Amino acid sequence: MIGRLLQFLNWIIIIFGLISILTVSGIYIWLSKDLPQLPQSLEHINLSLPTEIYSADGERIKVLGERYPVNIEDISPNFLKAIIAVEDARFYSHNGIDHRALIRALIANFRTKKIVQGGSTITQQLSKNLFFSFERNWIRKIKELLVAFQLEVTFGKEQILEAYCNQIYFGSGAYGVEEASQTYFKSRARDLTLLQAAMLAGLPNSPNNANPFVHFEKAMKRAKFILKRMVSENLISSSQREAALNSRIDLASPKVESNPNLYFVDEVLAKLQKIYGKEFVHFGGLKIFTTLDTRYQYFALKGARNHLEALKGKIKKETNSEKLQVALVAIENKSGAVKALLGGRNYSHSQFNRAVSNNRLPGSSFKPFVYLTAMESLNFSPATVVNDEPFKIEIPGSEPWEPQNFDEEYAGNIVLKKALLKSINIVSAKLMQQVGPDKVIRTARKFGIKSPLGRHLSLALGTSGISPLEIASAYSVIANLGIYNEPYLIQQIEDFQGNRLYEHFYQGVQQYGPDTLYPLLDMMRGVVERGTGKIVRRMGFQHPAAGKTGTTNGFKDAWFNGFTKDISTSVWVGFDNNDSMKTRFGKGLTGASAAAPIWVHFMQKALEGKTKVKFPVPDNIKIATVDVKTGKLPDEFSLEKIEIAVKEDVDLSPLPMEDLIPKVDTKLKLEVEKLKPSLN
Amino acid sequence: MKFSGVRWARHSVAGVVVLSAFLFLEFYTNLFEKSVGYYLKWQNHKRPQLGRMWERDRQSLIAQAQIQSIRSSLDIQEENALGISSLKELFENVAPGFPLVVTREKFLQLYFDFPGQGSEQIISPYDLISLDSEKEWDRFLLKRFGPWVTLQFLDYKNIPVHEVFLSIDTILDVQATRSIKRGTLEGLNFKSNRIFNIGEVLPVLKSLDPVTQKAVFPEPRWFLEKNYFLTRIGVADIETDNDPLKQLVFGIEYDTDYYTGVLLIPVALELANNIMSQIDKSDNLVESKVDEQSLFEVIP
Repeated sequence: MIGRLLQFLNWIIIIFGLISILTVSGIYIWLSKDLPQLPQSLEHINLSLPTEIYSADGERIKVLGERYPVNIEDISPNFLKAIIAVEDARFYSHNGIDHRALIRALIANFRTKKIVQGGSTITQQLSKNLFFSFERNWIRKIKELLVAFQLEVTFGKEQILEAYCNQIYFGSGAYGVEEASQTYFKSRARDLTLLQAAMLAGLPNSPNNANPFVHFEKAMKRAKFILKRMVSENLISSSQREAALNSRIDLASPKVESNPNLYFVDEVLAKLQKIYGKEFVHFGGLKIFTTLDTRYQYFALKGARNHLEALKGKIKKETNSEKLQVALVAIENKSGAVKALLGGRNYSHSQFNRAVSNNRLPGSSFKPFVYLTAMESLNFSPATVVNDEPFKIEIPGSEPWEPQNFDEEYAGNIVLKKALLKSINIVSAKLMQQVGPDKVIRTARKFGIKSPLGRHLSLALGTSGISPLEIASAYSVIANLGIYNEPYLIQQIEDFQGNRLYEHFYQGVQQYGPDTLYPLLDMMRGVVERGTGKIVRRMGFQHPAAGKTGTTNGFKDAWFNGFTKDISTSVWVGFDNNDSMKTRFGKGLTGASAAAPIWVHFMQKALEGKTKVKFPVPDNIKIATVDVKTGKLPDEFSLEKIEIAVKEDVDLSPLPMEDLIPKVDTKLKLEVEKLKPSLN
Repeated sequence: MKFSGVRWARHSVAGVVVLSAFLFLEFYTNLFEKSVGYYLKWQNHKRPQLGRMWERDRQSLIAQAQIQSIRSSLDIQEENALGISSLKELFENVAPGFPLVVTREKFLQLYFDFPGQGSEQIISPYDLISLDSEKEWDRFLLKRFGPWVTLQFLDYKNIPVHEVFLSIDTILDVQATRSIKRGTLEGLNFKSNRIFNIGEVLPVLKSLDPVTQKAVFPEPRWFLEKNYFLTRIGVADIETDNDPLKQLVFGIEYDTDYYTGVLLIPVALELANNIMSQIDKSDNLVESKVDEQSLFEVIP
């Protein structure tokens, strides 16, 4: 009987042995093609060079791929004990696999019929971190195990533990124990106290849930659990644990991921990756010197947040004022350098960069290009008179287009400058009708606007999306009196040895003569002095400035774009979902009320202490005062006058009396008749 | 039968012992893991470099290769710029769409190395002094757009502190003003009866007023600094379509340690006649011109 039992057992052993050998061989043959080669050393696995991004004022605004690998001697023994206690208590006794932990995990997984427990040792985790995806499946698990076996026979325990401590993720963007210590405690890894070490050791397993910045209680609970494990594993004594629990733990201030520079950084990276590829940017160990001025960026953020906060109390309750968004771009006119670029109110809430996206309509901000096209191709001047009256344009195969003025009032005859000051839609539409969309698009292209522009008449009212970056750049051409500088964000790139790889050269192109653009600039100065943008002056901004407001249908977009001699700044405010911006009293928010105050806050700070520089008047320009209704030099019957800048050859001489009489106010007509003999 | 049973029993015991031994070894020495581990280690070099770590390495290598390629290209550009030996060559090297940058020192070297005053058509030396006094001028950049050439004097941030716009015609004028050719006067088609020994011409040059001297001859320093040893001077015609015989060209031949070169200087006919009349060997050039054909083309 015993013999038979032994015989049976013998067969079982043979079969089991054969099956084991065949299984292991089969698995190896099957997976060997996908098993990765191990490096010669684990010391250099963290040493890809970081890419650093600097602002123009010398701040290091972002580092990509920065790691702080440390030797095991520079890691606190408290931490080493803690991480071993919680992650792999038998680390020093196994060879890559912990049988007990594995059997426990197998049972748990078998019961739930899915992988809920890994039972991974530190070596297995290192294997996974170095080579494999984070997807949980059996094949990956076996590969991970095989590589762990090899790691164990190739490297010492200390080397494996050191590599592991330098690799793991601790949450809050911290990789490796040194960075984690700095991030959470502003301390070196070698100086971690027992409680700090226990708290950190709890993070790799749940970097978000146990993040002390977000869930301090959970983090403490986990730290206590780890201290208990350390006691049970005889790594510390109970009295040490008690002392640790009674010790004080001070967290560092969390890194603010809403860093306002990050919108700018994103755009820099996007541009570089487009030209050179991702590898160059992330693994090149570059030093990227940008045009950003961090002070300007701070002013932009502060100005935007303050004003959006102020609007919060005014906006209708049903619209979520928290979601009101903003974008701001400031460009140095003489070079095209982007000095500030704010893509939203809070980077940590939304990384969508509204400063460079072109999906918002500029509204009346586009009108200067229509006016310039008319002045160029129709020989119009700011003194040219256009009739502001209701009108309709028949469009073949479509509904007639009937543009409306913002306030639905009509001024009758009006000079172009006054029309731009009041942002009269009818006048812009009439100009567009006369010149045609193609010419206007050509003009916009000369100003550097690259976004697709619709070939339709409503373009006169800014119905094609443009980004704040484009508008700021286009307006800087006006400030420069015709010189277009391609906006740029990167001044210079160096490799890690300081060799220059790229540098930006000034590429100014004279697109228009100064005497062509100055009349337009003067008109836009009028917008700020007496037009729709006069809030700029009311808020106390005293530098010579010009600009244009923009508000789209239904108050979906509010713009203010303006410039001084040195800086052009574009500000957009609106909801991402195109909701109307209305106050509790039903009044819509316009470019003047929603965007211009941000522009003023920003520009006031940016130009603080700087000399007020006037726009230079080019040769061949004359400044004159004309009658708003006739566009000619005023006479005693002129009711409203306006100062304009026109080319020397523009004739402004008054109309002959015969032409004048029918145009004057009816009340004055009789008096004119009486005066006529004496005038003659 | 009994014997067979005993044998099986022995085998079974042996099996159990082997299994126990294996389990014992596995339990105490991790035999299985070590065996697999060593086998994999032995096979390591045959396996591919796969996975996140190698991918990062690969990307790093790609990045470094790209950086190396950019650096090589920039080094070549820099070497080319450094190798430019004359203002004429500087202008010839600027192609549309490809800006050319040279250091301030290089520009000054080329500017003052120009054998004559032609370079002053670009910018006067006084303007250069003025730029320098601001201590901002670092480099010089040339760009060509269609028929225009933009010359920018850049500061340390690459912002132009001074800009000059020149038409290609002006550049060609500068290039044509004075040029250098390798070879002898004869090789450049100067007629032997119009070639003079330097000893014959220098006394005449010395006797000229400073303005005339500058119009027909560079600063002597130009030859001295370069170790150019003057040998002969020749005279030949420049024929233009519109106005033939209004200008002549002086060819000043010199020897260097390695080659012979000729500096060609266009000279007004009247001035040339005046000089030549003072050289014994010379007859009136206009008279002698009658039966001669155009000698050679000066401007390449």
